[in-house]
Amino acid sequence: MTFAEYAWLIPILPLIAFVIIGLLGNRLFKKWDGGAPIAIGMAAISLILSLIVAYEALTGDGTPFVQSLEWVVVQGGDFAFTFNMGIYIDNLTALMLIVVSIVSTLVVIYSLGYMGEEGGRKRRYYAVISLFISVMLGLVLASNFLQMFIFWELVGLCSYLLIGFWNTRPSAASAAKKAFLVTRIGDIMFMAGLFILFVGFKGNLDFDYIFNNLDSFVGGDSLLTLSTLMLFGGAVGKSAQFPLHDWLPDAMEGPTTVSALIHAATMVKAGVYLVARSYPIMVKTPDTLMVVAIIGGFTALFAATMALNNTNIKRVLAYSTISQLGYMFLALGAGGYIFTKTLDPNVGYMSGAFHLMNHAFFKALLFLSAGAVIHAAHTEDMRLMGGLSKKMKITSLVMLIGCLSIAGIPPFSGFWSKDLILAAVYEGVSISPIFTVLYAMGLVTAFLTAFYMFRLWFMTFSGTPRDKKIHDHAHEAPASMWVPLAILALFAFGSGFAYLFGLNTAIVPYGVFSMEYASAGTLLVNMFTDSLTYASIIVAIIGIALAYLMYEKKTIDPARFTSGAVGGTLSNILLARYGFTKAYDWFGLRIVYGVAKVVDFIDRKIIDGLINGISAGLIRSGSFLRRAQTGFVQSYAAVVVAGVSLIVILLFLMGGVI
Amino acid sequence: MFENIPILSLLILFPLVGAIAVFMMGRSPKASKYTALIFSAIPLALSILVLTQFSLNTGAEEYLGNFQFVEKYQWISFLGIDYHLGIDGISITMVLLSTLLVFLAVIFSWNVEDRLHQYMGLLLVLEVGILGVFMSLDYFVFYIFWEVVLIPMYFLIAIWGGSNRAYASIKFFIYTHVASLAMLLGIFALFFTTAPELQAQGLIATDAIGTFDMLLISEVAGNLGTALQFAIFGALFFGFIVKMPMVPFHTWLPDAHVQAPTAGSVLLAGLLLKMGSYGIIRICLPTLPDAAVDFQIIMVIIGVVSMIYGALASLAQTDLKKMVAYSSISHMGIVMLGIATLTELGIAAAVFQMFAHGLITAVLFMVCGMFQYGVGTREIPLLGGLAPKIPIISTVMMMGFMASLGLPGMVGFLAEFMVFTSTFDTWGLWVFVPVASVALTAAYYLWAMQRSIFGDLTDRVNLSRLRDAYWFETIPLVVLLGLIILFGIWPAYVLDLITPTIPLVFSGVI
Repeated sequence: MTFAEYAWLIPILPLIAFVIIGLLGNRLFKKWDGGAPIAIGMAAISLILSLIVAYEALTGDGTPFVQSLEWVVVQGGDFAFTFNMGIYIDNLTALMLIVVSIVSTLVVIYSLGYMGEEGGRKRRYYAVISLFISVMLGLVLASNFLQMFIFWELVGLCSYLLIGFWNTRPSAASAAKKAFLVTRIGDIMFMAGLFILFVGFKGNLDFDYIFNNLDSFVGGDSLLTLSTLMLFGGAVGKSAQFPLHDWLPDAMEGPTTVSALIHAATMVKAGVYLVARSYPIMVKTPDTLMVVAIIGGFTALFAATMALNNTNIKRVLAYSTISQLGYMFLALGAGGYIFTKTLDPNVGYMSGAFHLMNHAFFKALLFLSAGAVIHAAHTEDMRLMGGLSKKMKITSLVMLIGCLSIAGIPPFSGFWSKDLILAAVYEGVSISPIFTVLYAMGLVTAFLTAFYMFRLWFMTFSGTPRDKKIHDHAHEAPASMWVPLAILALFAFGSGFAYLFGLNTAIVPYGVFSMEYASAGTLLVNMFTDSLTYASIIVAIIGIALAYLMYEKKTIDPARFTSGAVGGTLSNILLARYGFTKAYDWFGLRIVYGVAKVVDFIDRKIIDGLINGISAGLIRSGSFLRRAQTGFVQSYAAVVVAGVSLIVILLFLMGGVI
Repeated sequence: MFENIPILSLLILFPLVGAIAVFMMGRSPKASKYTALIFSAIPLALSILVLTQFSLNTGAEEYLGNFQFVEKYQWISFLGIDYHLGIDGISITMVLLSTLLVFLAVIFSWNVEDRLHQYMGLLLVLEVGILGVFMSLDYFVFYIFWEVVLIPMYFLIAIWGGSNRAYASIKFFIYTHVASLAMLLGIFALFFTTAPELQAQGLIATDAIGTFDMLLISEVAGNLGTALQFAIFGALFFGFIVKMPMVPFHTWLPDAHVQAPTAGSVLLAGLLLKMGSYGIIRICLPTLPDAAVDFQIIMVIIGVVSMIYGALASLAQTDLKKMVAYSSISHMGIVMLGIATLTELGIAAAVFQMFAHGLITAVLFMVCGMFQYGVGTREIPLLGGLAPKIPIISTVMMMGFMASLGLPGMVGFLAEFMVFTSTFDTWGLWVFVPVASVALTAAYYLWAMQRSIFGDLTDRVNLSRLRDAYWFETIPLVVLLGLIILFGIWPAYVLDLITPTIPLVFSGVI
């Protein structure tokens, strides 16, 4: 390893961009697009470095590259708490590096066009997005859990700042707060997991140390299970899984570039990355893995239903993101659990990470295409769109690629990973009936996904324009926007082929198990001789066909599903997000703020009331307080004298006792 | 380098001389503020000089030998009172914080108009007292400095305070005075009860009444009867927790803060509260280790209750400054929790948290001051949408709030994390109770920001006099935020001062 020695530069470069853009004044950047060239340049250099480092790692023998320095050491009883900072590069890191640096570079370039009209606010935008890229790469490269947590919090900060980018909008300010607070609940659990691991592994949180010394954990199996469960709790918050999912749809208040980069392609993947990263511990705690699988599978289906009837183009994509993240957790959890029972290597881990990569590309593509549409139509409401494909040929084409990919139509990238996920879950059917349910959930989700994505595409691009003014105004995106879109479309189409060329053996949990090499031909034959593959393709096609009939051909009227008592109620429940928004608000405002009000009352009326009552009594009896007010020195002396005499009395008393 | 120079005494002397000089400059307020600036810069420079000469490892094996720059002169010998100063890793951290904050507070007060020379003079007197507290190794000297601190703070609130200043200042005075009285009881009890043992061990002359020497007393106080130790610990402890302040003895703090002028609040929260926790760390634990173990459960309950209660009370406030005041109670609760773990990690973290809170809370109170004078009100419901209008104040507010809610990369995070880790180490899963305050803290800060600087621009206040930060407000804030980030990224600069001292001081407890 040679270039890995310089991997620490990868997060540093965008950080430099942040510092330069952040510190130098607006005036300097008036002609310079708010510092965009610096942001793009630094992101691009770190992209090149990332790709080299990733290439090195993926072509190596799989042994992680570790580099670390002592940050803080505190002696703690019989062992020292060692806080390190460092770099840990294995194949999973490499995969994340590729995803994060490619998508972020493309998004920053895209921003040139998309954020072009923001004026003086552009500087803030490029500064924060550079900071985000830096800390996200830092998270990916972290060599221990604490360092990961530190960057984990910092990506959360950037998310907060960017959701609230248009901070004069009350809804944006509110959404930013909600995102921070809800993920903070998860962060607390993450922290709790770290306490357990920190003490259990005698003051060392390094991945390298923990993965090689799993048996040295002090505290027993149930505590270890709790620790992994708590780590997953952090992931639930960050990756917007049930029941901490409701912040993500609101996060769409941020600019679409932010939604694409942070809330689809990278930051929300941090939770998946955390679970994948801690796989060596996770496989010691099958109960946690079962929880991961169930939450993942349930969230996949649950979130997909909310995308069915939403008319906001970004919200549909947000629900879709939650749902796809659920797939990843389902894969990781199910694969890991099955491994703990059978001890045979399976594709669960690999397919989860694989889907993470593919999803990053096609979802970034979908969001950025939606951004191009919003940029052209000046609305996010799909009911006002329609017929835009004539005006926006490139956008409609690349978005179609994205839709085909997420729907799982071969050979687009989403097909490969989704199919592998379902196959991995299906392996568990013989172990526990739960996996039958999970597989069914996954399959239904695949159908729903294909349906709502093509509903989105047809509503936006095909048919006749529903709002003439918007349609007349619409225009194709400028080159700074469609070029990144085209590149992403290439990835969204082709990243799935990585499976055929070695990803299968490269992305394995280091030290847990490895996969046997298989040629591309064998993999293909295995896949297409399996009837499960056809099941997932067929449901996707049915979904697309249904959307086609409803929104293109109009042979089935969508209103049929939303009218009537049952349909109307169901539709309203979905639009109300199953009541979660209200429940969060209720909890925050009624419960927490209510208790706060009570505390405030106790403070003012009871504690202070008591104190003021006593002093008022003293004033009335004409002694203490009035003296204190009459003369400073006198009262001071009086108190000292009183003190001394009290002591003397006390000592006399005690003299008799002792 | 300083063998022959009483540098700690000079640290106290310069602000004292400065204070006298400034008090006499009633005719020329301008000269008085420059004088105050110089005489607060000198202690800062001196304390940095001390830092450069401070050795991280004295080679001492125990508490007694670990102090550096020691000055000891007989003062009232028949009572066993010495003028005895010295510093170790815990005190130097506090000394640096004190000299820095007073210097910045002087700059921040640049445009005070009313009786400027007295204002500046009082800030310097406050510095004398606080530095004395953090450096004394003799109970009597400690107590005198402790009381010296009270006087300038009382006047700062009573003269330059808000509309309800009379009530707040008297309340502050009585509360802390009653606490001092309890502490004095404890000190006298230590003085008398340790005398026979000290005589027997030959540490003091056989005809001496006793000694006020902290270190000598700590040598033998552990031999006192259990009940007596418990009682003395209780008296001292009470004195200190009122100062910190811990629930339920905290209600003087919000009132004092709301009424106090900005510099007063900065020093009150940044330094005066630390005197309480410093007292517990410097006196209670090393002197009466057995009682500390008995008090552990009380300490942890008080600490956790203060954390949660303070955070909830913050959430209910509408006055920005009152919210920040309650957040101080919550954050000092973290210090108490760290101490209560009675582990090296926990106590080191507690000291680090004191330092971190000093820096952060100074920023927060300065922000409150800027809202008061730049916007005209601190009432959160009256504010809104101010970020584009006052970008500097808003940015500083956001950074301060983020630091205070424990964002990594800033100084507060690691201290909190270490406290929680040692809490888990000591009490296991009970750690979930105090950790909940982390979410509450984020809630009140983010909500306050949402309502005050984001959203629609307010029409509920007169914005015609709206102004962003002045240079003398920006400079201290930039310095503080710079340090907050520096020590957040590299906390070892501070922790390496603190941690070597911990096992020596607390060998009896941990």
